[in-house]
Amino acid sequence: MKKLSLMFAASLLVSPLALADVVVIGHSAGPDSITENQVRDLYLNRSNELPDGQKATTFEMASGDAVRAQFHDKITGRNDAQLKAFWSKQVFTGRGQPPAEVNNAAAMKARVSSTPGSIGYIDEADVDSSVKVIFTP
Amino acid sequence: MKRLLQLAPLALAIAASSASAQSTEDTLARMQQQLDSMQQQVNTAKNDRVRFNGFFSTGVAKSSNDAGFDGITEKTSVADLSLFALQGTFDVSDKSQAVFQLVGRGAEDWDPVVEWAYLSYRPINNLQLRAGKMRLPLFMYSDSLEVGYSQPWARPPQSVYGPISIKSYVGADATYTMNLDNSAVTGQLFTGFTDEEGTTGPSELRNVFGTTLSWTDYVWTARAIVGTAQVNIDIDLNQDGVHEYALSDGERALFLGLGLGYDDGIWQVISEVTRAKIDGEFADTDSAYVSVGRRFGSVTPYAVIGWIESTDNDDRTFLGPALNTRRDEYSIGARWDITPGVAIKGDVTHVTGFENAAGGLDAAYVLPAGKNSTNVYTLKLDSAF
Repeated sequence: MKKLSLMFAASLLVSPLALADVVVIGHSAGPDSITENQVRDLYLNRSNELPDGQKATTFEMASGDAVRAQFHDKITGRNDAQLKAFWSKQVFTGRGQPPAEVNNAAAMKARVSSTPGSIGYIDEADVDSSVKVIFTP
Repeated sequence: MKRLLQLAPLALAIAASSASAQSTEDTLARMQQQLDSMQQQVNTAKNDRVRFNGFFSTGVAKSSNDAGFDGITEKTSVADLSLFALQGTFDVSDKSQAVFQLVGRGAEDWDPVVEWAYLSYRPINNLQLRAGKMRLPLFMYSDSLEVGYSQPWARPPQSVYGPISIKSYVGADATYTMNLDNSAVTGQLFTGFTDEEGTTGPSELRNVFGTTLSWTDYVWTARAIVGTAQVNIDIDLNQDGVHEYALSDGERALFLGLGLGYDDGIWQVISEVTRAKIDGEFADTDSAYVSVGRRFGSVTPYAVIGWIESTDNDDRTFLGPALNTRRDEYSIGARWDITPGVAIKGDVTHVTGFENAAGGLDAAYVLPAGKNSTNVYTLKLDSAF
């Protein structure tokens, strides 16, 4: 029985369906915390400044990604089609460009840890010492 | 289990190299270095100093007669609604950008036209200065006038967006945004001049001055504009470049507009009211529309009521009756977001209430034919990429 439950726990760890909670991560030299409204403002082009006044750089997971869907469900309340429409309006009115997209958690950590003033988001399970968690929705 | 298997070779490698602790540290340091340089390479390759975006529209439209609402007749071809645009954004420095937008329209044999070519500069975060060729910011959707994908409708309501054919100007503007707690106020000043072919013949605006003020809490949006310019509008009576008559000759024109929007993610309500006054023979008009849409997943049906009326019918003598304008527009349509970046729209618009004038449409057809209405059916594909 104990063996079974261990195996069950292990299978949860490796199953891609077992999604832990999304967390917002930042560059190590950036602020230690950020509010939900500030994160939303950065991802909806309403602000381009971190709480400490640094110019912010945001990163997104690619369209269709489960962590991306979870992040936007919690923070901006917009799905992929709505985000696409939102950003096309921003781009073609000259107001801004959408965040650069990355394909997986490792790439997200690499971009965030090497870009001062950057923020991104990953599954809590993927957090390591290269980045710091600045907000948990 | 998968993860364990993936880790196995690494564990083996570490085990193999851990003949001494020293070599393990060396290996780790070397791996770290390699990783760092790889990250740098990735970042250099992803350097976003130049970006290209584009949009595309195509569609079919057919009218019940040749009144020419939005230029659509009984035999409008697919190319007339088609356009392709390419936008380039170049980061000149941290604070300045160069932006151009080239638009090729099927109705103009796809000759590319520069609609935007400007340099923008942000001395501070909330202030943007621009100089070059830009859209004249008369309406809420002026900046994205031809980006069908960013609009809910098959076409912007013609009662408001139709009468003024000048879309772009050359000049400068300054935009200041004040971020408040969960809302923002934006003020803009603009000045410049134009020289474009209008719908009736050559038209020109000089000494354009204007200001816009808008407020949004990201659900509600309110906007006001006041603009003035000296106007030259020539009408080319026989369309031959010879029989040109000045409808307006350096007269000062005044434009006023109010806009209100509401978008909570489900309901989308948009309304604009505008007033254009020009001394001389060109028609002064008041116009307005109200649009209501509701999202059902990827489908957004909408209904629009629009109205336009000329306000100086008794003041004009020469071409007065032909330019007397009065019409009502009723549109029902739907937008279907097939996939992010692509939308299909269908629209039926009924236009009526001309009251013995041309309704601001093709007088040469409407008046002799004694028409008092026209129906326009539109199917459109809009994309942004």
